[in-house]
Amino acid sequence: MSIEVKNLVKAFGEKKVIDDVSFKVNDGEILAIVGFSGSGKSTILKLISNLVEKDSGEIITSGGDIAFVFQYSALFDSLTVYDNIAFALHERKDLRKKYSEKEIREIVNEKLALVGLKGIENLYPAELSGGMQKRVSFARAIVTEPKVILYDEPTAGLDPIASTLIEDYILRLRNETGATSIVVTHQMSTIQRTADKVIMLYDGKIVFSGTPEELCRLDNEYTKQFVTASIDGPMKIIEK
Amino acid sequence: MALVRQILKQTVTYKLFKSILVNLIDFMEVMGHITTCTVEFFKSLFKGELDRKELITQCERFGISSLPITLSIVGMTCVIIVSQIAQEMVKQGGGNFVGALVAVLIVRELGVIMSGFAIISMIGSSMASELATMRVTEQIDALQTLKVNPFGYLFAPRVMAGMLMMPLVVIISSLFGILAGALTSDLAAGLSYRVYFDSIWIGIFAKDLFVCLAKAICFGGVIALISCTFGYYASGGAKGVGIATTRAVVWSFVAIVIIDMLFAIAFFF
Repeated sequence: MSIEVKNLVKAFGEKKVIDDVSFKVNDGEILAIVGFSGSGKSTILKLISNLVEKDSGEIITSGGDIAFVFQYSALFDSLTVYDNIAFALHERKDLRKKYSEKEIREIVNEKLALVGLKGIENLYPAELSGGMQKRVSFARAIVTEPKVILYDEPTAGLDPIASTLIEDYILRLRNETGATSIVVTHQMSTIQRTADKVIMLYDGKIVFSGTPEELCRLDNEYTKQFVTASIDGPMKIIEK
Repeated sequence: MALVRQILKQTVTYKLFKSILVNLIDFMEVMGHITTCTVEFFKSLFKGELDRKELITQCERFGISSLPITLSIVGMTCVIIVSQIAQEMVKQGGGNFVGALVAVLIVRELGVIMSGFAIISMIGSSMASELATMRVTEQIDALQTLKVNPFGYLFAPRVMAGMLMMPLVVIISSLFGILAGALTSDLAAGLSYRVYFDSIWIGIFAKDLFVCLAKAICFGGVIALISCTFGYYASGGAKGVGIATTRAVVWSFVAIVIIDMLFAIAFFF
């Protein structure tokens, strides 16, 4: 399923967080949205998934479920891993009576296997490491066979090996489910290893659009500052 | 002009009006949130989104977990009142009416309002902090992205549990209060249990019981609804959870006192 965003605008109070943003992600593609903190990256994901209402513009999707993988996993801490993954199948009105408990168990096991976790169904989120929580949140997100997966900083706060593992799962999920994906990230490794296309946001606007290779060419003042992690450049991090 | 504006801003009158305006806006915003949540709660009920499994869990929480504290508060309040009035009433020749007075006090007011206060402190605050934590940790956002209506999953079972279980809590705690009153009047004024229990029916009418139960249903629903609303609209991490919980408790206290007053005006004025 493709996603097309046209002239999207969102303001919180007087501050325009997203200012006339347009882009398109084709079916099965992975788009990375990069930029410094507060540049509006996560807001775009929340707008696409209807968690936040847009002020103006268009978000065109061709139907199907949109899954969201949250930055801090957002697992239901009072439920076990099994109940977290099976949540939509148990609670969603249109899915509640579609599957028997035996079928739900099979689906949960299949999704857990897909993210490389088995035998942890009865544990609670607090008993898992950060990387495991993230993978459980992947499994929960894909349980309804979504056509689009939105990842909000999936590798933030993880060690390099756990990050590599998560990046592999992003690619694996795309390859196995064919889902279109948008990944919000700061990490160069995540961009280079997973993305087909990259857009860079600054102050609510797109300042770069291209491939991961083009991002690293350093022929754009913004991308140069981002890739070299320089304080000097057109992007001002600390507002005076 | 700028200087005049700056001087004006330093005046007490300006600060007072600003504070009133800020509080008024805040009040309107909270009322808007409560109204929205009430509408969404009823919509989720009509759409059949009430989660029955969660309803049973919440009923257990509302009805059973709260009983020790509710019984203690209502029981002790009765002991305090009876130990002060029983002796004096017996001295003045009104010993036959101690049971009636206690029963009227408990059935009309103390049983329901004291249970309400206990439920707010114990259950309302925990509901508010639970939902607020879910909000700040994006668990409510996760519910929405999984296409599960938070009002059907979170609000409906809690508010329904409040409306179903509060009358039960009030009945049990009121009976306990009347028993505590009997024991205290015997110990403090030597009043026999028979005299005490015989007089109970002098002051109690069917209307009192009906109003008591109607109040209990309203209190239960309102406490759960207000607590869930503040939790649902919480923001700003741990501090936000604390603020939401405190405000839920304060608003619930004020709300049930206002509802109690409206019942008093409507039925006993």
